[in-house]
Amino acid sequence: MTIALEIKDLHVEVNDKKILKGLSLNIEHGEMAAIMGPNGAGKSTLASVLAGKDGYNILSGSVKYLGKNLLDMPTDERAAAGVFLAFQYPVEIPGVATSTFVRTALNAQRRHRGEDELDAIEFLKLARAKAKELEMSEDFFKREVNVGFSGGEKKRAEIFQMSMLSPILAILDETDSGLDIDALKIVAEGVNKLRNDKLCGIVITHYQRLLEYLKPDTIHILADGKIVKTGDKSLALVLEEKGYQGIIEAA
Amino acid sequence: MTNMPDIKNRYYKSYNEINLHLPGLDLEWMKRLRDDAITQFHQDGFPDKSVEEWNVNSFKGLTDTFYSTQQENSYETDVPSIDKKDTDCLVRVIFNNGKIINIEHDELPTGIQVNTLNFFIKNNPDFLKEKIKPADEYSESRLSNIIDSRPQSIVALNAAFHEDGAIIHIDKNIEVPGYIELLHIGDYSDKTMKHIRSVIFIDKGSKCEVLENIQSHKNNNMIFTSNVTDIHLSDGASLSYNRFISGNSKNIHINNVHAQLDKNSTFISNSLINAKGQVRNEVRTNLLGEHCISNINVLMMGAKKSLHETLIKVKHATKNTKSKQVIRTILDESSRGSFQGKIRVEEGADGTLAEMSGKSLLLSNDARVNAKPELEILADDVKCSHGVTVGTLSKEQLFYLQSRGIPEHEARKLLINSFSNTIINNISNVLLKKAKNFILEDFNEND
Repeated sequence: MTIALEIKDLHVEVNDKKILKGLSLNIEHGEMAAIMGPNGAGKSTLASVLAGKDGYNILSGSVKYLGKNLLDMPTDERAAAGVFLAFQYPVEIPGVATSTFVRTALNAQRRHRGEDELDAIEFLKLARAKAKELEMSEDFFKREVNVGFSGGEKKRAEIFQMSMLSPILAILDETDSGLDIDALKIVAEGVNKLRNDKLCGIVITHYQRLLEYLKPDTIHILADGKIVKTGDKSLALVLEEKGYQGIIEAA
Repeated sequence: MTNMPDIKNRYYKSYNEINLHLPGLDLEWMKRLRDDAITQFHQDGFPDKSVEEWNVNSFKGLTDTFYSTQQENSYETDVPSIDKKDTDCLVRVIFNNGKIINIEHDELPTGIQVNTLNFFIKNNPDFLKEKIKPADEYSESRLSNIIDSRPQSIVALNAAFHEDGAIIHIDKNIEVPGYIELLHIGDYSDKTMKHIRSVIFIDKGSKCEVLENIQSHKNNNMIFTSNVTDIHLSDGASLSYNRFISGNSKNIHINNVHAQLDKNSTFISNSLINAKGQVRNEVRTNLLGEHCISNINVLMMGAKKSLHETLIKVKHATKNTKSKQVIRTILDESSRGSFQGKIRVEEGADGTLAEMSGKSLLLSNDARVNAKPELEILADDVKCSHGVTVGTLSKEQLFYLQSRGIPEHEARKLLINSFSNTIINNISNVLLKKAKNFILEDFNEND
């Protein structure tokens, strides 16, 4: 297995407050890594920094993605290079149809990679096939992006976008938040269907529940801006028993 | 905006010099209408900031510059090349420098008349007499019962000086196949003005779609134009009235629409304003018959130093009528915009349903917009709502789009389009492509 993402000693501050304090993490192709940790540990900051959101001040450290310096790339180029962030709170965009949005995104990425754009018919064919795989109704193609979607629909729409854009690095930021158990299962199954040798994932979550379905290869505990413990899925069970505090103290 | 001391006198004097050439002066009523109008303008002058309807921005060059009616260019020469008439367009009337140069149509079904004001003055003046009202009838009546003619002094100036216009007359129970286009083009001389007066009358049960297409001039001279259109919809009639207004940076264009709605009639007004200069768009609808509907949609797109103003007044004068106003403003660079909308529900007009929504999107720190929504409700049983917002492009939305691989400039365009789609989506299929081209043509985001 080769390393897809290599984060080394990353220090990041937001509004003059240090959030990440020397975070290091390697993820290999095909690996599903879960990041768990208490509130305020820096989980969402890590997701935002990887996706290229404004407002995060990188103090030191490096992030290498497919051998390139990820932090140097603008957000849209990261996406074209295969980085996908499933948002904790997907953003509503009134007036833009979901199909228009996804097609614009897919074609922008293809253009950036020097590939031919998909025309409306080719796009629809692909979108239909992907929607079917995720057991989603095609009605939502026409609906405005995330407008009036239920919590479950929003998260499923994120997974649909992920499937359309076929990323190499998928970051799922608390994709389980606000989902009932049935919706959670559907979303997790959707992600599982997308797994392949190349795709690596960072699953950020508070709860062990999502991991029962997603079956991560590794689990990393993030506390106070650092990875304090790494293990296999049995770590989640220890966590369930001892809580974060127990693990952080032991580490 | 204060009037240059002798500006009123200069227009007054100019009227007395040229009025022999104005059409319809052999008609006693028309002569009186013009004479009374110039007298009214001479009293009021251009509206200044003490006039409620004009208290937001000043129109540069309106009150300190005299615009002559005399064109240096002779009208017929050098008619510009114009695109072919759309297949969906039934009749196209082309005005060059305010003067008719062509009425293009295939065979017209009987009952549909589209011609010029001058043609009607010669052939059917009585029809016009009922439809073009004396200038003082357009005055505003204040809540204090004071009649204020000042807000409408440009309508008075238009009444005095109008030289031509388009007249559309649709007989009973006709569904007009295809839209009627009134195309205005020109290359006016510097410091000249042109006033166009049009009338649209849709008889009982008929249905019609019109496009008033005001294009930029070929040159960038200081030009002042006004178009005043009187619309009357009889019982059960329906009109979709679309205006695409552009203009160069030194153009001032004032556009007034007055619509009178009888029982069960439907009036839809879509205005797209995308000018580099100064434009004022006024729409007044008078809902006179039960179950009539007035829907007014406006999109203003400003950039550089443009000024766009919209004033809408909807008067619910009887029971069970419905109105909706939707205004979207997008301003870039140091452009200015304003929207004033008033819904007035007269005494006894119970069962009124009225809503108004005004949203503005500012793309630059230097752009400014003013919005003033008003309700005046004198009836008891009504449902009225109004809402106004001003905002910028959402950072969250931009990041979401970019995180999916859409470059920033494309993401901005997508969001701007989605904002304007609220208005564009109201435009009928036959005009949709033209509308989309129109907003793209002149509006360049800095990319």
